[in-house]
Amino acid sequence: MPNGSQTRSRPAVCGITWGRLGFRDLDSAPTSSRDVCAVASFDLVQQFVRDVGRIETEHELTQSLDEMSLSLGFAYFALTHHVDLRHAPQPAIRLATYPTEWIDYFDSERLGPLDPVHRASHLTSVGFAWSKVPSMINLTRRDHEILDRAAGAGIGEGFTIPAHVPGESLGSCSFATRRGEPIPEDALPSVQLVGLFAFEAARRMSRMRSFETDLPALTDRQRDCLVWAARGKSDWEISRILGISHDTVVQHVKQARERYGVGKRTLLAIHALFDGTISFLDVMRR
Amino acid sequence: MPITIVRSTGPADDRALRGMFAARKQVFVDLLRWDLPVLDDAYEIDQFDDGHAIYLMVTDRGGQHLGSARLLPTSRPYLLHALFPMLCEGELPTADDCWEITRFCLDRGLRADERLGIRNALIHALAVHALEAGIRTYVGVAELAWLQQILAFGWRCRPLGFPQPVGGRTLGALEIDIDQETLELLAANGIGDAQPLAAAA
Repeated sequence: MPNGSQTRSRPAVCGITWGRLGFRDLDSAPTSSRDVCAVASFDLVQQFVRDVGRIETEHELTQSLDEMSLSLGFAYFALTHHVDLRHAPQPAIRLATYPTEWIDYFDSERLGPLDPVHRASHLTSVGFAWSKVPSMINLTRRDHEILDRAAGAGIGEGFTIPAHVPGESLGSCSFATRRGEPIPEDALPSVQLVGLFAFEAARRMSRMRSFETDLPALTDRQRDCLVWAARGKSDWEISRILGISHDTVVQHVKQARERYGVGKRTLLAIHALFDGTISFLDVMRR
Repeated sequence: MPITIVRSTGPADDRALRGMFAARKQVFVDLLRWDLPVLDDAYEIDQFDDGHAIYLMVTDRGGQHLGSARLLPTSRPYLLHALFPMLCEGELPTADDCWEITRFCLDRGLRADERLGIRNALIHALAVHALEAGIRTYVGVAELAWLQQILAFGWRCRPLGFPQPVGGRTLGALEIDIDQETLELLAANGIGDAQPLAAAA
């Protein structure tokens, strides 16, 4: 495992700023979030939505979201794609105010895709409290270690709003209290909306996708072969199913792999699922 | 896939419309299990399909339904107004230039890549229709996963209230601004199409 210092030395992923820009050390944090009303009215949410609609930099968004999370009764937030930021397949977003200790650990252990809260968020589109995670996924020993480590870094209860845009990395927007502080239940409806709109604002800023140009386009026939390959069929079986020659199927699958720049058909299927060329329904359909 | 955009207010025996009502039954009743009235065991038609609705449909060149959406004027009873007023914190919108988008439907037979293309064509058609018809605001109710996709189209959206659990689903209501910038905002998210709107025969 690489250590945290390697993380710090890398300033950008795919040209999108991340890292220190969005982070704030605990030392410089306002001393208490308790003096602010924990329940935001709908007006406050509307104001936030208006503000983030006008914001143009990630720095402004981080500030705005930081203020909002404090007024909702949370000490920290993290808005992120669930990827290992150093090896993300697409430009990735992350803005966070978690304690530096936790962020360093998170990156050095490459927790983006592994974090149990992130994994749980892939199962729903509705915000959930972290206390619900054990009822959503099976926690491994490693998961418990991760959660303990977060608590050790001063992170308390949390609430996560999943962010799933088809064809893009899964993401989420989480809000957390300081260790020992309860979750502000009354604020959760506001949190749901704030998370949704904040993620969209971040997405807009990062100009996530360069459309059409970077998606490897498959021909219909390549795609047909790929769907069957994703279902575990061999080239020979695919040739029987589609009524074309074995050699033709071999060629189609090979060319599809080349377009995605991957060597294995498993990876080919995963990439094509990821960018929406094929869907889970295509693959799982009877 | 070559497609045609059809804008229609009826009559009900129109071929594209019939295909749309059938597709709506397959998607909303058979697939999503919404509790909706079904006519002749084949068509999903409710009290809002009443001659005041306008339909935008994407069809193939043969007139076969690929995708569709229903628009209801907010100057009359509409879905958010009649069924989900609790999703709206303030006053329910009621204006001639404010219409509600309902029954956004993509044909079940579409493949993943086609779905995306048809979805984008329909979103683009909705924006073009609004600009042509003088609609400045769309409102709509959506389940959270879909609501997030609606935001990700890039047009300017505002929440009308807090999302709430309704019948096992979490629903939220949105307002969408349509103005001269909208097409550009959509294009920045890959949603653009020069498809002219054709009125149904």
